Amino acid sequence: MSVSDATTALTEELAARDDMIVCEGVNKWFGDFQALDGIAAVIKEREVVVVLGPSGSGKSTWIRCINRLEAHQEGRIVVDGVELTNDLRNIEKIRSEVGMVFQQFNLFPHLTVLDNIMLAPIWVRKKPKDEAEELARSLLERVGIPEQAEKYPGQLSGGQQQRVAIARALAMEPRIMLFDEPTSALDPEMIKEVLDVMKELALSGMTMMVVTHEMGFAREVADRVIFMEDGQIVETGTPEHFFTNPQEERTKLFLSQIL
Amino acid sequence: MTSTMGDPAATPAATADLWAQEREPAQKPEEPSLSAGEWLGRNLFSSPVNSLLTVVFTLLVLLAGRGLLNFTFSEERVWRAVKTNMRFLFTHAYPQEQYARVWFCVGAVAVLSGLSIGLLAKTGRGISMKKLSMNLMAAGGAIAVGILLREPSATVDSEGLVVHREPGTALDDSFAGWIDANSLALLGLLLAANVALAVWFRYQGVYLRGGPEPRTAHGVLVLASAAVLIVQQYGEGEIVRESFGSAMADRAWWWLAAALLGAAGGALWFGLGDARRRNTFVPAMYVFFGAGALMVLSAWVYPWGHYAFLEGEFISEPGSTVAMTTKLPWTVMLVLLVASFEAGRALRATPAGRRLRVPLNLLWVLAPFVLYWAVLRDPDLDWDHVLSTDIPMALFFAAFGGLAVWFLAHPRIGEVGRVIAVALVGVAVLNWVAAFFGWYPMLQKARISFLLLAVVALLAHNFAGDRTHRMRLVVAWVAIMAVFHWLVTLVNSPSTVDTPTDALFGGFATTLTVATFTLLLAFPMGVLLALARTSKLPIFRVLATAYIEVFRGVPLITLLFFFVLIFNLFLPGGMSLTDIAGATIGFALFSAAYLAENIRGGLQAVRRGQYEASDAVGFSTVQRTLFIVLPQALRVSIPPLVGQVIATFKETSLLAVAGMFDFLRIADKVISAQSEFLGVKREGLLFVSFIYWIFAYNMSKHSQRIEKRLGVGER
Ligand SMILES: Nc1ncnc2c1ncn2[C@@H]1O[C@H](COP(=O)(O)OP(=O)(O)O)[C@@H](O)[C@H]1O
Ligand SMILES: [Mg+2]
Repeated sequence: MSVSDATTALTEELAARDDMIVCEGVNKWFGDFQALDGIAAVIKEREVVVVLGPSGSGKSTWIRCINRLEAHQEGRIVVDGVELTNDLRNIEKIRSEVGMVFQQFNLFPHLTVLDNIMLAPIWVRKKPKDEAEELARSLLERVGIPEQAEKYPGQLSGGQQQRVAIARALAMEPRIMLFDEPTSALDPEMIKEVLDVMKELALSGMTMMVVTHEMGFAREVADRVIFMEDGQIVETGTPEHFFTNPQEERTKLFLSQIL
Repeated sequence: MTSTMGDPAATPAATADLWAQEREPAQKPEEPSLSAGEWLGRNLFSSPVNSLLTVVFTLLVLLAGRGLLNFTFSEERVWRAVKTNMRFLFTHAYPQEQYARVWFCVGAVAVLSGLSIGLLAKTGRGISMKKLSMNLMAAGGAIAVGILLREPSATVDSEGLVVHREPGTALDDSFAGWIDANSLALLGLLLAANVALAVWFRYQGVYLRGGPEPRTAHGVLVLASAAVLIVQQYGEGEIVRESFGSAMADRAWWWLAAALLGAAGGALWFGLGDARRRNTFVPAMYVFFGAGALMVLSAWVYPWGHYAFLEGEFISEPGSTVAMTTKLPWTVMLVLLVASFEAGRALRATPAGRRLRVPLNLLWVLAPFVLYWAVLRDPDLDWDHVLSTDIPMALFFAAFGGLAVWFLAHPRIGEVGRVIAVALVGVAVLNWVAAFFGWYPMLQKARISFLLLAVVALLAHNFAGDRTHRMRLVVAWVAIMAVFHWLVTLVNSPSTVDTPTDALFGGFATTLTVATFTLLLAFPMGVLLALARTSKLPIFRVLATAYIEVFRGVPLITLLFFFVLIFNLFLPGGMSLTDIAGATIGFALFSAAYLAENIRGGLQAVRRGQYEASDAVGFSTVQRTLFIVLPQALRVSIPPLVGQVIATFKETSLLAVAGMFDFLRIADKVISAQSEFLGVKREGLLFVSFIYWIFAYNMSKHSQRIEKRLGVGER
């Protein structure tokens, strides 16, 4: 099967699925500086999309627009059928549908690991406490650190903290997970443990949008790779297509620097 | 009572960033303790400059200590004035026959403290035997030095007057007289010898070798200087004084205390080997209890004297122990404290203990109100009114509000909930507008209850949950209403405690009351102001900033004058503030501005990522603030917050200036106006400073412990 055949097959398969994230002509400015420039993309259910691009190209800004940590100024963003506007109710709804994992983990340092995970299910999802605890423990099991439940984040290694952060996001039972450079702040020996958790998550059918520089992860797990530069989407394609036969000069240049 | 603890679990849980990172329990290589001489050599006499600094500062400390001792124990000091006026100093006009209430309050605080410390405090390893024995020996040594340094007592004649020597009859040929006459020259000589020695040792390279010579030579010279300072006081001056022998005999009790402390310390030191001394720990509370027990014991055996001012009569019995009405209550207090501490410790690991934690903290908040309005004032309830109005109204708000909370905290209430909440807020505001224009009558507490309900309704969706959860919210609401209506009823009833002054009490009780209520009021205000000042909404920011800048710009004393003396003129007829209430409001408004700035500093220390993570998991602004931002911000601001608490505590002495009978005023003005103690001020002022210092010092020590536990400042 040639590369283009694979692309066609994937396109057809994807077309049959529901849209999870739709971006149309999204523009965003910080002051006079345009950080996003006409972003248009559709991410389907159960799709894993890796976003690549040089530093400052707007990857974080885009991904943060999707759960409204940043507000876009023009264009449409529709997440799971709900359009992101200033309406507070839509924002609350979308945030509980979309989990996010940050480069700096951002765990709550004054709470135990268990409380970090349980707090949102209890107060946002209104789960009874014992159910929330059960869920939290099973998620810790899933990310491979059930024995750390009673510790505080400061007592864990970076890799463990990031896995707790993933569990915390999953505890909201989101339909979409966003990852903004989840392994960039980790020591090399801890990167694998986090990527393994993410791979398992991808296999389980989660819709994922991942900003990362881990090319191995992109190759192995991504359904699609999006390359960004200067706030624009430069090229989109399957990993195979992307790494073996990029079309755009800028993509080639980027790949030659990074590989 | 001792326990060997090496378990790392005693290390408090640590958290990221601003919190201490957990360290491996440090396995320091065991280096043996230095001997006393080696310690002196290394720390005090290690170089010429070091040696001279040691010499000079030792002499300064001895001089200052001698001055303080001679001032404190001088025959001219009328300590009877303080002893006689203890009750005045602490509670002023609060009637003697109602004093059981005061002791009840002290007891309640003792029990709460004991339980809290036993149940909640992270006590760490405690005090090592080495430190304990060193402190005991140091205390014994300090007392012994004090005994020697203090001047001999003056001779008093049959009328109690100090006997002055006839001019020209001074006998200067005694040894002490000679030392006294030449003391300056002798001290100068000894100092010069020290300098010369230091220089000589320096050029001989003795310091570098680290040998024992410097500490021996300098030490002998320092001891000689101390001897000059001591013997000098037995020289013949203008006043006839007792001899060395009788002076030492007079101080037999102090010798006993010094000997007991020294012997206890020495027994510990020599009874245990170096390793066991260092690795055996006693809980710090037991040391505190031990000191407390010694003090209570001294009340039963030592002739402190019995002095009192009862029904206009001065009682003065110098030779006896203190009154039964003093020593018995204090003994009970100590027993209560120890018993509740042990109870707390026993409960600590049990589920019941864990369930007690939140109620215990709530009790601390509730205690000042209950103790002041219910216990000390013993309100005279009008039962007809209570049964016909107060109870029905409380029941109504409990039931109506309970239902509203049950309904509004339903997870799927949605828009309906917001509409109802906004409607309730509308009615609550209308009630206040109506009060202003006099449209319809309504009890003030009904208006306040309604406003509380409206606020709770507005926030309810943030705390929605399943049935048991909502049930808990309802119970909390009912409890709040019960306590609120009960307290308001108490406040509105006249007091049965009859005092000759406007205020219920004065003295230290006023100081504590104003300080406590100020903090209870100012703390929530400060948190709200800080949040408002950092809010996204400009109106909040502007208002909070204006408030903070205005109240930080106004001198506290003007606020006090305004609220204690002038404010009542602005109130509608029939309404008036008591002095204590006025002062508390003034203090609270002022402290809130400072607390707000401290908390704002803490808020700024919370990282942006924390806000983003809270938003990303879907918390509302209220939830984010309550669960994530404030807990972190308050932790960071603990040191400045405690600083502010101490400042408020000490600033209450300004109450005297505003004409209130606070602690300082009693010492300064009241005692010195009594016919028996006309003009006697210094004793009272010294005593008051001492009490202020004890409280402020303990607060600051406590804050250091909290800081250490939270690892604030450690990165
Ligand atoms: N809050 C902000 N204010 C101003 N400029 C910003 C802000 N956040 C990001 N930018 C700018 O927007 C551009 C895109 O940033 P970002 O999305 O973080 O890039 P990436 O994640 O791809 O490295 C950068 O040039 C950055 O300087
Ligand atoms: Mg980025």
